[in-house]
Amino acid sequence: MMQFLASNMAPIMFASLIVFLLFGYPVAFSLGACGLFFGIVGVELGLMPQTLLQALPLRIFGIMQNDTLLAIPFFTLMGLILERSGMAEDLLDTIGQLFGPIRGGLAYAVILVGAMLAATTGVVAASVISMGLISLPIMLRYGYDRRVASGVIAASGTLAQIIPPSLVLIVLADQLGRSVGDLYKGAFIPGFTLTALYIFYVLIVSVARPSWTPALPSEARTIREDDGSPGLRSLGVLFLLSVGAAIVFAKTRPEGTPTDELIVVSMCVGVGVAFVLAVANRMLGMHLLSRMAERVTFVLIPPLALIFLVLGTIFLGVATPTEGGAMGATGALVMALARRRLDLPLLRQAMDTTMKISSFVLFILIGSTVFSLSFQAVDGPVWVEHLLTSLPGGQLGFLIVVNILIFFLAFFLDFFELSFIVIPLIAPVAEKLGIDLVWFGVLLAVNMQTSFMHPPFGFALFYLRSVAPSEDYDDRITSRRISKVTTGQIYWGAVPFVLIQILMVGLIIAFPKLVSSGLGKEPTVDVDKAFQQMQSQDRQPARDAPPMFGTPPAASGTAPSGSAPAAPPAAGEQPAQNSDDDAMKRLLDSMQADKPKKP
Amino acid sequence: MAPLLTLSRLIDRATEWVGRWVAWLVLAAVLISALNAAVRKAFNTSSNAYLEIQWYLFAAVFLLAAGYTMLRQGHVKIDVISGRFSKRTQIWIDIIGLAGFVLPLVYVVIHLSVPLAIRSYVMNEYSSNAGGLIRWPVFALLPLGFALLGIQAVSELIKRIAFLRGLIPDPTQKPEGKSDEEQLAEFMRLKSEAAAREQAALGKTP
Repeated sequence: MMQFLASNMAPIMFASLIVFLLFGYPVAFSLGACGLFFGIVGVELGLMPQTLLQALPLRIFGIMQNDTLLAIPFFTLMGLILERSGMAEDLLDTIGQLFGPIRGGLAYAVILVGAMLAATTGVVAASVISMGLISLPIMLRYGYDRRVASGVIAASGTLAQIIPPSLVLIVLADQLGRSVGDLYKGAFIPGFTLTALYIFYVLIVSVARPSWTPALPSEARTIREDDGSPGLRSLGVLFLLSVGAAIVFAKTRPEGTPTDELIVVSMCVGVGVAFVLAVANRMLGMHLLSRMAERVTFVLIPPLALIFLVLGTIFLGVATPTEGGAMGATGALVMALARRRLDLPLLRQAMDTTMKISSFVLFILIGSTVFSLSFQAVDGPVWVEHLLTSLPGGQLGFLIVVNILIFFLAFFLDFFELSFIVIPLIAPVAEKLGIDLVWFGVLLAVNMQTSFMHPPFGFALFYLRSVAPSEDYDDRITSRRISKVTTGQIYWGAVPFVLIQILMVGLIIAFPKLVSSGLGKEPTVDVDKAFQQMQSQDRQPARDAPPMFGTPPAASGTAPSGSAPAAPPAAGEQPAQNSDDDAMKRLLDSMQADKPKKP
Repeated sequence: MAPLLTLSRLIDRATEWVGRWVAWLVLAAVLISALNAAVRKAFNTSSNAYLEIQWYLFAAVFLLAAGYTMLRQGHVKIDVISGRFSKRTQIWIDIIGLAGFVLPLVYVVIHLSVPLAIRSYVMNEYSSNAGGLIRWPVFALLPLGFALLGIQAVSELIKRIAFLRGLIPDPTQKPEGKSDEEQLAEFMRLKSEAAAREQAALGKTP
């Protein structure tokens, strides 16, 4: 009996974990309890060293010092303030009117606004709820197919998960021991490819089944000129002007300016030109621009400014992702104040929710740290490795099995749980198989996005259900009876998008370039590394703890401290890596060093 | 049971009070981090103290709020299976979880981390980074946060048992009655109705 226990401790522990989790008590404590239970049993049976649990407080200190995860409250607060600021409503209204009169136009508007909201913040609930409240009634009014309408809304909301800045990528970066900036850059092209695939789907639907996505009658546009014309020509002219300005500006930049800097700065110039023209037009009463052109410009400015503030500064290397989050949150606060949408109750509520989310996420991490402490002591990682490396097909076999696993686990677990429980187990194996972890992270993020769309537990569907009409109602404008949206319609609507998601996972596996072309050719060593370096410095004691899973970017709390030994391949080229003790100086140095290196 | 319920109410109120104040640390961390980034870029100066205070604040937020999060039932669970159980079974699961999962964990962490905090205080330990902050307050956060969690767990335990005895209504109903998403949806609905009324008014008086 003892013999059996001792030699099969790892599988027993893993099976118990599943039982503990399904038991239905909060994940954080179930994980911790499972680890604690086996730790104590293991020590009693003499399978583990007496001092096993001594390492626990230091592991938790490691989590407390984690600069990457600090971005979680920042981006959460930003999203919570933005969702009340009215930005999403304005965007949906204006872009909806702009595209509405073409076939499938409202669906395109929802996807585009979804992508834009996703690039400002990373909160799925806010996007889905605002689209469900604003766009869904209009789509129903003009006879959109209910499955298409609800599917488009739910799926566009989940774009927030993959388009940076997103929380999933932050958590994955932490667990994989890679820099958040790299994951953001890697996820950029897949995120927009996915957006394009959604648009392509709507296009196919609108061709194959025109009655499912009808064009709006042109009187549905309320933004129009006094003579009734839509005023699209001056919008077109304005668009061409700003694109022209951006291109001209880009051409005048000195040779060798890094591409991402070029794109970011030129886009700013283009948007700036449009903004200045629109303001001048209004101030001087020139009436050169149509109302539509003016509305579109003014509505696009706040999100674009926020995107620049967050992603722009991160990609330019001015700010770390954590600081980008803080600046974005500050920007959102300023914007909400300027729009008179921010008051004390709202601020309190946003801080309260942020605090609760941070606490539950970090406690899951603490719980998984307790678990992995015991799991390592029974050589669990070795067991997992044997299990996964013995799969037929090498890398590809591993990738397929892991993706199927995550896809099905995503029915039950959300991405926080997946990242903290499953990723630490498979990441070391992936690295052993020679898989690039940044690419792997983006791949998993696309896969985990389905966890929001899976019927019947997907959160996005759940949010949409809560705002979609659940009873027949009379439309306000046409006074016609409109029947409710059934739960079945919402579920069926999500299915094509889950399939698109699977297609995207396949595309990333088939064309790894989708991810890596967003990164530089050279391994970019950036600010995060420097942060991790300086963390590992004062986390020296944590390194005395048994190495996690044998490979550095392993689990939970020690990921950053573990990444110190992982850094060398990249670190060789990093001038900031000398014996300099001052963390701040190192941070600045590495930022400077980082800049010219960008291709 | 009555004195225990009084105790539970006292604990809940104290936890609520802690949560109210700790929430402001979120804002403080955001502003300090944004300011630090801006100042560093503009004037090329900064200090490790600003970097360290950020994670001090973050650690304070998630540790000190653990009890509050429990009070508000913010710790997520997987209720795919347990959601189908009867209310009483779910309450029993909670009782086992509180007494068998949370309290032992709290005990172990406090037991192991208090000596570290005391040592850091006695040795007057500072961060090894130039200009770094004094260390003991952040070491002390760990036992403090888990203590608050443990105290709240006791209160939750009392409430669960009182419910099983039929003394109080279901304690697992969310106190605000609505989830954050429901509140958001309601807020947006109100706003969009107001906007629609405004438009209708504009339409009538052109």
